[in-house]
Amino acid sequence: MRYQLVLPLTATLACTPALATQYLTADQAQKLMFPDATAFRPQELALTLPQMQQVEKLAGLAARSVNWRVVAAYRDETLLGYMVLDEVIGKFELISYAVGLNPDATVRQVEILVYRESHGGEVRLPAWRRQFAGKSVTGGGLAVADGIACISGATLSCTHITDGVRRIAAIASVALRK
Amino acid sequence: MRRRAQPWLGTLVEISADSDDGAIDAAFAEVALVHRLMSFHDPASEVSRLNTAAAGVLIAVHAHTWQVLRLAEEVDSASQGMFNVACAPQLVAWDYLPPVADDVPQLQPAQSVYRCEADNTVRKLRPGWIDLGGIAKGYAVDLAVQALRRAGTANGCVNAGGDLRTLGSQDWPVAVRDPGAPQRPSRRLWLRDEALATSASYFSGRRHAGRQVSALLDGRDGRALEAPVSVSVRAPLCAAADALTKVVFASGDPGHPALAQWQATAFII
Repeated sequence: MRYQLVLPLTATLACTPALATQYLTADQAQKLMFPDATAFRPQELALTLPQMQQVEKLAGLAARSVNWRVVAAYRDETLLGYMVLDEVIGKFELISYAVGLNPDATVRQVEILVYRESHGGEVRLPAWRRQFAGKSVTGGGLAVADGIACISGATLSCTHITDGVRRIAAIASVALRK
Repeated sequence: MRRRAQPWLGTLVEISADSDDGAIDAAFAEVALVHRLMSFHDPASEVSRLNTAAAGVLIAVHAHTWQVLRLAEEVDSASQGMFNVACAPQLVAWDYLPPVADDVPQLQPAQSVYRCEADNTVRKLRPGWIDLGGIAKGYAVDLAVQALRRAGTANGCVNAGGDLRTLGSQDWPVAVRDPGAPQRPSRRLWLRDEALATSASYFSGRRHAGRQVSALLDGRDGRALEAPVSVSVRAPLCAAADALTKVVFASGDPGHPALAQWQATAFII
């Protein structure tokens, strides 16, 4: 037998930390998406009401939020594109991700920044979310639970991320497209 | 060790590798190709072309699509129909998949919807819809592992929503979710240069029109598989492991004879 089976006791399982992985920081993601960029300029995007209505029409989804975190990537004075940061919440998982867009608002890349699962209902609690958000901003501090490299299990749908990407593509088309 | 994750194939695909981002980009590109070719949702995919084709038509497909369709035929045959990619109309009826057209074909599990023919062609045999959701993730994992290897990666792991394969001489610790409390790891094992796929209905099971349904079906009759267990299969190839989980689930037999054909073993939690 090349593998070992360890059946942990219920008592130790109860202490196992929630599964969390930090894949990339926002800085790493922007460099990965725009390797030729010489400057990254954060900009606050605030959608107007007509823009939000347009986004809803384009994406078929509620625009959800007025304010969006956007970083514009430049090579000297040439705009290479944008990265938009967002978070989505699933049944028991919280995912922060980044969408890279070309200046014409087409999606060039999607990268997950942080994936975090909770044991149960606490994913919807504000305190739990704050703790998560702090970690994702500073980078580091999150690790895979218990030294496990990979988790096998039933497929977890990522519909909320694909919806989120569609919403961001619509926002880019309405408010960022050059 | 670099770790990245992107949304593909309706789930999160995670790649860990002791190589540069170029190798990981190449591996994600393979997953993206499988997504493009085999998506049920995308009207431009080859699966959609096959689903909307009239009976009798011969369709030329990409070698990858042909390989997946061929393996699906083989597992279907080795399991007397327990694995059956033509159950899509049932998944559409339960709102797991969107309809391809208004006219939903009747599910006839005993009759093949397509047949693989020579030179990467596929014959549509009768009206019907196929969904490769139970096998394409595993195949994408295999392609991504090959891409990592070509790029010189010594050790890595590709995980498409629980269907995973490791690369290299390193032992990878892998945990299988507890079907009774999926947020917790249950069984742990070590994989070296092999695949592990798990199927269970704890994320997809729900009520539909007063009945318990699930995205996992018995291919012989389209019945929902809703036992509160998970089935894991380990095998050299992730595509085979992925498909065989449904055979073990439907049969309830972790020693099902079809496993040996793909050098696979299984366990039920």
